[in-house]
Parts: sequence; structure tokens; C-alpha cells
Amino acid sequence: MAMNWLSALARGAEIPVFAVVGAQGLAPVEGLRHRPGLRLVDSPRHARVLLVAGAVDGAHKTALERLHAQIPTPRGTVWWQAAPLFARGQGVAGDDPLPAIRAAAGADDPDQRPDVPPHPWQGMGPHGQGGRGMMGGNPYGRPMAMTADDIRDGLALDVYNARFGPFLPMLPPGLVLDLTLQGDVIVSVSVVSPPFEQGMQGDAPDLCAARMLRLMGIAPRAARARGALLALPKGSGTRRRLAAWLRGQTVTERPSPLPEALPGLEWAEAVLWLASFLPSHLRAACMPRQAA
Amino acid sequence: MIAATLILLLALPPLVWVAAMFDRIGAGRGTVVMGPLQNGAALVLRPNTETEAPDRLNRLLAPGWYLALALVGLSVVPLAEDVVASEISTGLVLWGACEALTVVVVFLHGWSPNAPLPLIGAYRYVAIALPAMLLSMFVLIGAALPAQSLSVVEVVEAQREIWNVIRQPLGLPLFMALGLAITLRGPFDYADGAELAGGTSAEESGPALALWHFARAAMLVAFSAMAATAFLGGYLGPVLPGPAWLLLKTLAVMAATVAAGRFFVRMPPARMLTFLWVVLLPLSFASLALVGVEVLP
Repeated sequence: MAMNWLSALARGAEIPVFAVVGAQGLAPVEGLRHRPGLRLVDSPRHARVLLVAGAVDGAHKTALERLHAQIPTPRGTVWWQAAPLFARGQGVAGDDPLPAIRAAAGADDPDQRPDVPPHPWQGMGPHGQGGRGMMGGNPYGRPMAMTADDIRDGLALDVYNARFGPFLPMLPPGLVLDLTLQGDVIVSVSVVSPPFEQGMQGDAPDLCAARMLRLMGIAPRAARARGALLALPKGSGTRRRLAAWLRGQTVTERPSPLPEALPGLEWAEAVLWLASFLPSHLRAACMPRQAA
Repeated sequence: MIAATLILLLALPPLVWVAAMFDRIGAGRGTVVMGPLQNGAALVLRPNTETEAPDRLNRLLAPGWYLALALVGLSVVPLAEDVVASEISTGLVLWGACEALTVVVVFLHGWSPNAPLPLIGAYRYVAIALPAMLLSMFVLIGAALPAQSLSVVEVVEAQREIWNVIRQPLGLPLFMALGLAITLRGPFDYADGAELAGGTSAEESGPALALWHFARAAMLVAFSAMAATAFLGGYLGPVLPGPAWLLLKTLAVMAATVAAGRFFVRMPPARMLTFLWVVLLPLSFASLALVGVEVLP
């Protein structure tokens, strides 16, 4: 009885969609943001429908399957202008994925990955986890905390090693980073794979500004008057680049290689720094160096 | 006292609904009135998620603690003359305890799923919320000085001649910074922000997430009622009955807090930390010193 009443009420709800942005997908997904009837969410846990917008490299198949598994059941999948990497959900070739998203909101995809730990237990060393004493090691493929020097104050605290990307919404889509973190301070970076190609549309100033301001919690309207520039720290150039975008100019500065630029920055600063360059320039900076 | 408690319990859900409506006004999201109920119902029908090796007890309890703190905080607010749920002489201290424990609860919410982004959100929130709490303590002591009492009832009665918002103009804006911090909103949302993909809530779904959102809105109601009481004279006002005045003032503060949350930019946390310690905290000292000079006989 109560459930029926809840279900009836829930029928009018917005569909929470987690958008995986593939190649050329940045601008179309931005266009979905203000469509009524759906809400783009930041975490797959909050979603009902997985929308894959734009082609995703086959190298990221496992990552995409894991993301699919993170959406609570029942879940649906839509491949929008993207070749399916696995046999779940339906494809849309046209410009409007909304009907397919509505259909997917009633779908119930079976699990794509088997329900087993991604990294089986491997006991090592006197405490079973490998590592030194009772710290460190790599049980279940999860690196345990181990003390290491902080690059800012030299205090030896626990470091955290993990892979971030390729579909985290605050990072440029496709970018995969292996990070070593001390709290939220980045200690070292290696680029595992570069961001996807986004084309000319992805470099549009208004879109770039909106993406950056979203990370700062506001909509782009009158951003300058509301102190958006003052909120950014001087020196890193993020302020200068956001100012250019808000004036409608294209940013011509190119990022230095990530393993040199990011260490020492806090998570929020690093994310803003990455968002302050054109997607095409960032992609170029992450590509493996061509042999001369 | 029992009547006041019952009134608060009955009034909270509709006020949470209103808070959720305020969040949708002007956000370009369509149905303002029914939207929160429909989305809430859809969320409740989704399953909770499991994470790997979570702290189950704290994960289960954190949203409930948050809601409980909002309710306890709300209970010290007098609804009319002599009508208050927690009639204690140290109401402001109880409210302060709820503020401080909110930091613990938000930390537990980020800690318990055992995942990196929620944990970063949890640590960052503690770093930012601590100075925000300090700030509110100075501001609330300022509100208590003219009343010469820590009782919230006395604080209201001391505003019969003139509201605190006029006597201490810095108080309300500074207290709103705390409101944004304890309701995880806009410029102070270092726990659940977009740059952490939902931060402490990133791993939650279903009823647990729905309860977290509900508790967050309930905390906004509690904060708004407290701000209306400490600075806008609470239930005092002509013609209309006391509770109606309190309701109107609470809604006004709520609207202002939601608007401020949308208007102001979230700085990177290190910059906000400097801003809090170097600008806002000295301002709150100055405000308290001015109040002290005013109440000198």
C-alpha cells in the first residue's frame, strides 16, 4: 500500500543519469544539463541510468564495466553515438537521447561483471598483507597506507596510492592518473592514458568556463561580479585563464606536463588547474612524446 | 514543553519540503512544488549500496545523527512566550554542542564507506568547519551579552526594544557563514562538493542518501530558526501571533541562506582556511568587542 503510493509519486521524478563522456561527448552532454526530466549526477551511486556519450576506447572496457556495476540495481544503459563495448542497454545514433534514457529508466540490466573481488587475496609476509611491520602491502590489490615524506612540510605521514579516472566527472574525460596523495595533497603523478579527443566544440569558451565554475559551486551567470576570479589563488594562472573564458576569448596557454605541474597542489586546486586548459591542449600535453 | 516538542516534530517535515523547494526555485529544474517529493520517493525506492569493508555501524547511523542534531538544535528555539521544547538556562551552549557535533557526524559519514573521495571530503570538512564553529561561538556570545544569559528565551526577551541584527550588524552575516557550513552548502560545501563527485555522499544511494538529504534540509530549518531567534527577535512582532512571526522570519533566513549558497563561489580549501582565520574570525572578535562596549553601563 505504502509502496504503491511511493511508486506512484516516484513516477514523476527526474531520471538521475550518470554520463560517461567519450570522444566528442563533452559538448553534447553539456547540452543535456538543462533538459527537464533528467538530472546529471556526479556519482554512479546516485544514478539510475548510465549514459555513454561518445566513443570510449576499448582499453577502458574494464573501467566502464566496473562503473556499470557501481550503479545500484535496477539500472539501464544508453549508448549515445557510441559503439557498445558490452551487450547491455540500447544504442542511440541521433541527436536526442531522451526517449532512450526514459526507456532505460524502466530497464533492468543484468550484471556485466561477475560478483567476485577484482583482486583476489594474496597473503604475503608475517601479517599476510606484504609490506613492513603492520603497515604497507597490497592486500586485495588495495595498497595499504605506508608512511612517506610529505613534500610540503616533511612530516612522515600515510600516503595513499590509487588510480583516478577515466570517468570521474571532475577530471577531463578519459584522463587516467596514478596519484600518490598525502591527505588531499598530490605528491606524485603519472599519466596512464590521455583525455579523449573533444574537437572544436569542446574548446568553446563558454563551455570551458561553465565546467570550471561548476567545480566552484556556481552557475556561470555574472560569475566575474560574484568574485569567481578572486576565489582562485594567484600564480597558478587559473585566474587568468578563467578571466579569458569569461570574456569569451580562447585560452592559448598550454599546460606543462602533468607529472611536473600537479605535485604540491591540493585536490581542488589540481582539479581546477586541469579544468583551466582547453581539452585539446591538455590532451596534447598528455600524449606520449613522439620520437623526433 | 511536550506540546512544543510535538509542534516541532509536526512542523519539521513541511519545513524541510519548503527548504527543498527553495533549492529548486530558479535552478531551471521544472516542478518546484512536487519535484522534491517525487525525487525523494524515487530515491527511497532505490537500494542502498554496499562498499568494500565499510564501517557499517557508523555508515548506518551518520544520517540519523545528523537529523537528531538538527532536532536537538531546533528544540532550544522558543516558539512563543514561554513555549519552548528544551527549557534550559544554557540553550545557546546546547546549540553550540549541536554545531560542533555536526562536524563529527559529517566526518563519520565520509569515513565510514571506506572510499577515497568521501574520506577526502571528510577531512577537508573538519579543517574548514572548525574555524566556522569558532566564529559562530563568538557571534552567539555577542547575542547573549545584552541578555546577560545563555538562555535562548532571555536572548529573545532582550530584543523587545531593538533586534540584535540592528545592535550587532555583523552578527547575522557571520552566523550565516556557519549556517552554510553546517548545512553543507555552496561556498562552504567542502564535504559534498562537485569537485569530489558528491564527497562524503559519493558512495551512498537509496534511503540512506534520502535521509542524508532530509537531515541536511532539517539542519537548514534548525539553523534558520536559530538565526531568526538570536538576531531577528524570534517570536516578537506586532499584530500576528508569535509563532507566525517566528515562521516568517525563519523562512526569510532560509531563503537568504539558500540564495547565499548559490551566489558565492567555493574557494579552494586552503584559500578558504586563510580567509576564515585571517578575515572572518577577526571580524567576529571585532563584532564581540563592539557588543561589549555597547552593553557597558
